[in-house]
Amino acid sequence: MPETHAKQLEELLAHPSVWRGRSRAAVETFPTGFAALDAGLPGGGWPRHGLIEILTPQPGAGELYLLLPALAALSRLTPARWCTWVSPPHEPFAPALMAHGVALDRMLIVRTHLPLWAQEQALRSGACEVALAWLPRASPRAIRRLQLAAEQGRALGVLYRSRAFASDPSPAMLRVLLEPLADAGRHGARVSLLKSRGGSRDPIELEWAAAAA
Amino acid sequence: MHPRSYRLIFPEPATSSPGSSATPSVLRVRPASPPPKGPDSQGALQLPSRELWIAAHVPQLPLLAIATAESGAATSSAPLVIVDAADRNPRIIDADANAQAAGVQVGMTLGAAFALVPHLDARPRDAALELALMRRLAGIAATFTPQVSIEPPDGLLLEIKPSLSLFGGLRELCRQLRDACRADPVLAQTQVQPRFTLAPTALAALAAARAGARCFITDPNVLAARLKPLPLATLRWPEEENARLLGMGVRTLGELMRLPRAGFAKRFGVERLADLDRLLGRRADPRRRLVRRERYRGRLDLDHEIEDHERILEALRPLLTELEQFLRTRQRGITALQCRFHHYRAAPTSCTLRLAHPEANAGRLQSLLRERLANLVLPEPVRRCELRGGALSERPLASSPLWPAGERGHAPAGEMPALIEHLRARLGAGAVYGLTGVSEHRPENAWRVAEPALAPVVSKVSAGDLSVGAPFHRPLWLLHVPQELDSQRGRPRHGGELRLLAGPERIESGWWDGADVQRDYYVASNTHGARLWIYREYNASRRWFLHGIFG
Repeated sequence: MPETHAKQLEELLAHPSVWRGRSRAAVETFPTGFAALDAGLPGGGWPRHGLIEILTPQPGAGELYLLLPALAALSRLTPARWCTWVSPPHEPFAPALMAHGVALDRMLIVRTHLPLWAQEQALRSGACEVALAWLPRASPRAIRRLQLAAEQGRALGVLYRSRAFASDPSPAMLRVLLEPLADAGRHGARVSLLKSRGGSRDPIELEWAAAAA
Repeated sequence: MHPRSYRLIFPEPATSSPGSSATPSVLRVRPASPPPKGPDSQGALQLPSRELWIAAHVPQLPLLAIATAESGAATSSAPLVIVDAADRNPRIIDADANAQAAGVQVGMTLGAAFALVPHLDARPRDAALELALMRRLAGIAATFTPQVSIEPPDGLLLEIKPSLSLFGGLRELCRQLRDACRADPVLAQTQVQPRFTLAPTALAALAAARAGARCFITDPNVLAARLKPLPLATLRWPEEENARLLGMGVRTLGELMRLPRAGFAKRFGVERLADLDRLLGRRADPRRRLVRRERYRGRLDLDHEIEDHERILEALRPLLTELEQFLRTRQRGITALQCRFHHYRAAPTSCTLRLAHPEANAGRLQSLLRERLANLVLPEPVRRCELRGGALSERPLASSPLWPAGERGHAPAGEMPALIEHLRARLGAGAVYGLTGVSEHRPENAWRVAEPALAPVVSKVSAGDLSVGAPFHRPLWLLHVPQELDSQRGRPRHGGELRLLAGPERIESGWWDGADVQRDYYVASNTHGARLWIYREYNASRRWFLHGIFG
């Protein structure tokens, strides 16, 4: 009965934890709020659980605008868990977050000199929908730990790092390079997927004005 | 018998018909009453015997307290009196047998007492110790009923009606209460021997106990009759009112009850009439319960000195288990736990764990202590550990969820406060906080640090209130302190010249609270394409500042 075997094999391969070469992995995702980005990302959105890395040349490259629709959606889930911000570079400005539809009472800011430890606790605890962390440097082993913690706590971990680390190996499931558009007339950024499980290879241009409206 | 010890009076129930032996001549209470005449003659008592109060009165408590405080010291044979030191013209509040024999009376001024007995030994009262003794007594009473209240300074009230079936009836309960008071070592040492009385109302029981009368009344219908012979002073009304009543020829409660209600209320106030109604059970007399303050204290002497944090935690394990047992039996949790480590020479090291919600689980407490200990520096090895729990608080019991949090939309249960506690244990309380918006024009005042909300809250301030026009004009990042920018020919620079894209938006506010701002805000773009929120002060200085970044 070769047909049944093939069918069983297909079922097995459709399992979310199996990832085959060039195919798109079947991961649980949710929309990013940007149609162009959804089309480029594997699974059509941000992964629901796991670790992603966003590399930026400097703060202010649009790293928050990229995640704002997702943050708004996650913080408005019922029942919603925490959205933690581990050692952010400045103060998140509450009125602007509110204006973008983010539920402030789900935000938890953590100021620490141990961002790796705090991020791991947040991801592993199961109390967070999403944990954003600004890390100066981290070894691949530490990132691997965060990846495992995120899967265990069923949370989305986001690491903000400098573009200088782009060539370092990283076990994160998705790595995104974000560069602001040089054209002063448009407020947006160019998103390149450095590493993804079957995502687009071309840079995607996004405009934040569209997201804010 | 010692002069300061008193016979424990716990009278037997009256076997004869109610009121017959006591004061048959003034018995005026009848189920069907004649037209109302006096304060007590409003007909049959309306309240059935819904309540039964035991009052405990400790006679000469101030004297006993002083004697306890000085036990061991050479006791002088001089007559001893206790005065209230807070009073400007001190009066005698208690006198021992010697002093009383010499003619000193309670209520006398100290000067008068000295005139009688020149070698009098006068001491100020020790109110704290008196209260401690009453609390001790209340602690014993609390094992019989939850409704215990202290009637300062020397009375205690217990409502025992609901406990009767639990303790096998009234007589058995009274016997057990008496035995428990006798068996208590502290009370025995101080010779505190309370007088107990039983009555259907709290005030009646208390009055009888103060009078030293035998009083064991369970039937509210005989209450008024049995109270009649008691002296007026047992009500402890102000001295001045007692003197006025005495001037009217009223010496006992019976004579008091005979006064006409309306006239009595007019002369002495409605509150006094209400007192009388409470005494006779015509008016409800709720009492505030005494809540016992219980804390956990554990101590462990180690066989050998320990330096290693992990091993200290291991050593604390039995104490934590004991703490968990202590909390579980009370169905309570603690929100603060203090650890003290004693060393050979150095002063004890202490660390306090604060929790976001009541906790009773030893394993969780241990894991939090581990984080807390991680940044604790011990000057010397530890010889002894002490654990002190904070105040007990209600701990809502919940069943464990089937799914882990976040799976299948399952609500997180204890994880959310647990994460905060875990982070705070290591990083300190101020390191973890939430955000809230404030309706205010000045950007630095438009948000505030808030305690993280454990339950989702409906925000009182909506986005519309925050005076944010189009959301695009408020940055996502705000700098703690505005950063001054260089400028060249009046144009701001920040790593290259800035291009102004939008603005100005003028914000001028705060002249009334000293933090006056006068600013023109612009959106600018730097050479890398990042958008910045900058402002220019439009007072004399005209300086440029960077205040936010459009993340």
